[in-house]
Amino acid sequence: MNLNFDPKDLGYLAPYLIMTVSGLLLVLAEAFYKGKDRTALVGLAVAGSVASAIASIILYTQVGPNVSQQIMGEMLMYDRTSYVLSALFALTTAVAALMSPSHQREHQWVIGEYYGTMLMAASGMIMLAHAANLVTVFLGIETMSIGVYVMTAMRRTSRRGNEAAMKYFLIGAFATGFLVYGMALLYGAAGTTSIVAMRGTLASTANPGLVIAGGFLLVVAFGFKVAAVPFHMWAPDAYEGAPTPVTAFMAAAVKAAAIAAMIRVFGVALGGDVVPFGALGWASPLVVIAAITITIGNISAVRQDNIKRMLAYSSISHAGVLLTGICALGLGSITANPAIVYYLIAYNVTTMGAFAVVAYVGSRGRERLLVDDWAGLAGQHPAAALAMTICLLSLGGMPPTGGFFGKFYIFKAAMDVNDGQLLWLVLVGVVNSAISIYYYLRIVTAMYFREANQPFTPTRSGALVFVMAMCPVLILEMGIMPGWWLKLV
Amino acid sequence: MNDIFWNVGYPHYLVLAAILFLIGTVGVLVRRNALIILMSVELMLNAANMTVLIFARMWGDLSGHTFALMVIAVAAAEAAVGLAIVVAVFRGRRNVDVDRLTTLRH
Amino acid sequence: MRIIALIVMGLLAFGTVGGAVAYAADPPSAVPTAGAERAGKQVNIVKTTPHMDRRESRPSSDNPGTALLFWAFAAATIGGALFVITRRNLIAAVMGMVGSFLGISAVYMMLYAGFLSVVQMLVYAGAIMVLFVFVVMILNRPEDEPVAPSGRAGQALGGIAIVYLVGRLILLLINVRPPRAETAIAAPGPITLNVPGGAPEKVEWGSVKAVGTDLFGPGLFPFEAISILLLVAVVGAIAIARPLHASDEEGTS
Repeated sequence: MNLNFDPKDLGYLAPYLIMTVSGLLLVLAEAFYKGKDRTALVGLAVAGSVASAIASIILYTQVGPNVSQQIMGEMLMYDRTSYVLSALFALTTAVAALMSPSHQREHQWVIGEYYGTMLMAASGMIMLAHAANLVTVFLGIETMSIGVYVMTAMRRTSRRGNEAAMKYFLIGAFATGFLVYGMALLYGAAGTTSIVAMRGTLASTANPGLVIAGGFLLVVAFGFKVAAVPFHMWAPDAYEGAPTPVTAFMAAAVKAAAIAAMIRVFGVALGGDVVPFGALGWASPLVVIAAITITIGNISAVRQDNIKRMLAYSSISHAGVLLTGICALGLGSITANPAIVYYLIAYNVTTMGAFAVVAYVGSRGRERLLVDDWAGLAGQHPAAALAMTICLLSLGGMPPTGGFFGKFYIFKAAMDVNDGQLLWLVLVGVVNSAISIYYYLRIVTAMYFREANQPFTPTRSGALVFVMAMCPVLILEMGIMPGWWLKLV
Repeated sequence: MNDIFWNVGYPHYLVLAAILFLIGTVGVLVRRNALIILMSVELMLNAANMTVLIFARMWGDLSGHTFALMVIAVAAAEAAVGLAIVVAVFRGRRNVDVDRLTTLRH
Repeated sequence: MRIIALIVMGLLAFGTVGGAVAYAADPPSAVPTAGAERAGKQVNIVKTTPHMDRRESRPSSDNPGTALLFWAFAAATIGGALFVITRRNLIAAVMGMVGSFLGISAVYMMLYAGFLSVVQMLVYAGAIMVLFVFVVMILNRPEDEPVAPSGRAGQALGGIAIVYLVGRLILLLINVRPPRAETAIAAPGPITLNVPGGAPEKVEWGSVKAVGTDLFGPGLFPFEAISILLLVAVVGAIAIARPLHASDEEGTS
């Protein structure tokens, strides 16, 4: 019996292995750590994540532009996309870890298992970036989700935290049911769980109905995971109730990892010339979901007074744009893959930056999440206000930022689909970008043109300031020189 | 009718799994107790797992059995975390009714 | 209460005995017993991948026992599941769940997934349900409101949509065509494993050996990676559910 295992394959999995081993070390370190201040573990967490990112970047340079290789008994694969995404997930994890200790200290929820859980959740994300089989897609999603449920519940003294965790968990588990059932139906149609083999067998299956039903169930399941609109009701509550660094991790990395899984499932397994099309192919429900996600996300964001909820609805509408990209990818647009990867990078950087400012403004048990709390911020803390402004402009898709080019490339990829099928979706997206500027500018005007209520001391943390400085610089870099980022994959 | 009763084939098993999935879904939507919702989710996972095994038998492909084993392990892990969250919520408010989780509603 | 207990006990006994009967009624034989002709045919087939050889399919009206067992286990499965979503009493719901799981386990046995059937019984009916019972006991409030109050328009709409979709799904599933024409589910033949440095070995389809060969062959990576998931779950469950001031009481650990 051939074991289908080559020790050389482990080398290609270095990012995953480094992340996993760091997570295990953190769990051990927490068990044997004697000191009172458990936030010191953050050093190991950041080192592990950064090492994993460096490994991804080194391996990325070893892989040619059009190489795609399956490893570990065809359970995993590697190509440039998977290494770019695993580097992105690792760096986002490092940033989320950097944001955490000061927040834990200020809001008194110091808990040692936090960093180990975070790194192991990140290892699930890296698995998703490499997944080439429905089994690994499922495992990656579950490792990530279970880790994030736990992280959401870790602020245990807060009733809101518990409530957010419960809602997030129940909805996530419900989505898992749909995910497994959809995968089961696809397996029934294809007779294999390998994503790459599936692409060939699905086109000539004897049971096309199973493909349609399975695709639809997977759209629902991933809709829950990325918070697309009929399935988004958990997101604002979970984002608001979770501690801010966890919210940032959920909004940026978890969403990006779910999209990475969608790139594989919908772009490879269900992509091509036959499967997505037709009156009942998966593309038609996904296009509708993308359109209403962009619209409802924006309209709901306009009404929010709480900044975390506003950012939650904003991330919902961003999920709609990403789903537009996934539609374009499945329908065979060649430019869709680099566009989605560019958008994910820009979106992750922006989201981490925005939540870093939110974490910076809240201090000593007060989170200061209402727009009124932010009035006059520019007078007291001009640097924080500037960083937030740049992040909000990028979220709104204003020109000199990464967010603008992200939206631009995704819509351009959608236009490349045959016969302009996605033209109306692009129009919906563009109109919504204009609407979204209103509520982003509302915060900017509050920060710059309103009188301050009372002065306050923000969170003192060098790491947080570092994140707040780096993210806007990266956003502007991506916006001014987008070409290099676009050529990554 | 006679034939449907005596001649049990793949469709019978598949429909059994689909009905089980439906019951699980309805349970999640209708019941308000977090524990029952968690049990209904387990029913959904079992229905999906049964479908995997039916198709594994249909294709004569053992990789479906590996998949099903993974799903069982994940379901166990999910149940453990879910019950821990239920206990944590119960500690704070002495009930686990999802309709009373209203601190976050605006 | 006593009636519920009786029903549950009945389901339990039914599932356990039934699983064994289903297996005994139609075992997937490693050594074919159905005649020398067929046995000769199977010996000639040597496969390298763990796919099964098929016996000639036969209509199961030849074997009415199979049909009766299927309907019995289907009733146990569905009945237990309905019990879960209709009972007010949490313990009763858990017991209905156990009955449902035992029915599912027997159905797995009828699908010739012997190993998975045993795992289902041990992990689900054994371990997970015990966990549920413990939590029900911790909460110590077995009664709770049974169904949602009326007037939830959105929920009703969602329910109707889901019933409609599952109806469509069932129509679809009725017409599923197997890759090869089979009128009924016949016992799968044995699969042949190539043993390094030895004669090829025949093992039962769905047995521990057959599943293990796949699990430690192509499935090696998920098998190893799932340990991380289980670790996250264990560490996380402890971190969330331990008493709030444990760190103060425990001292250094």
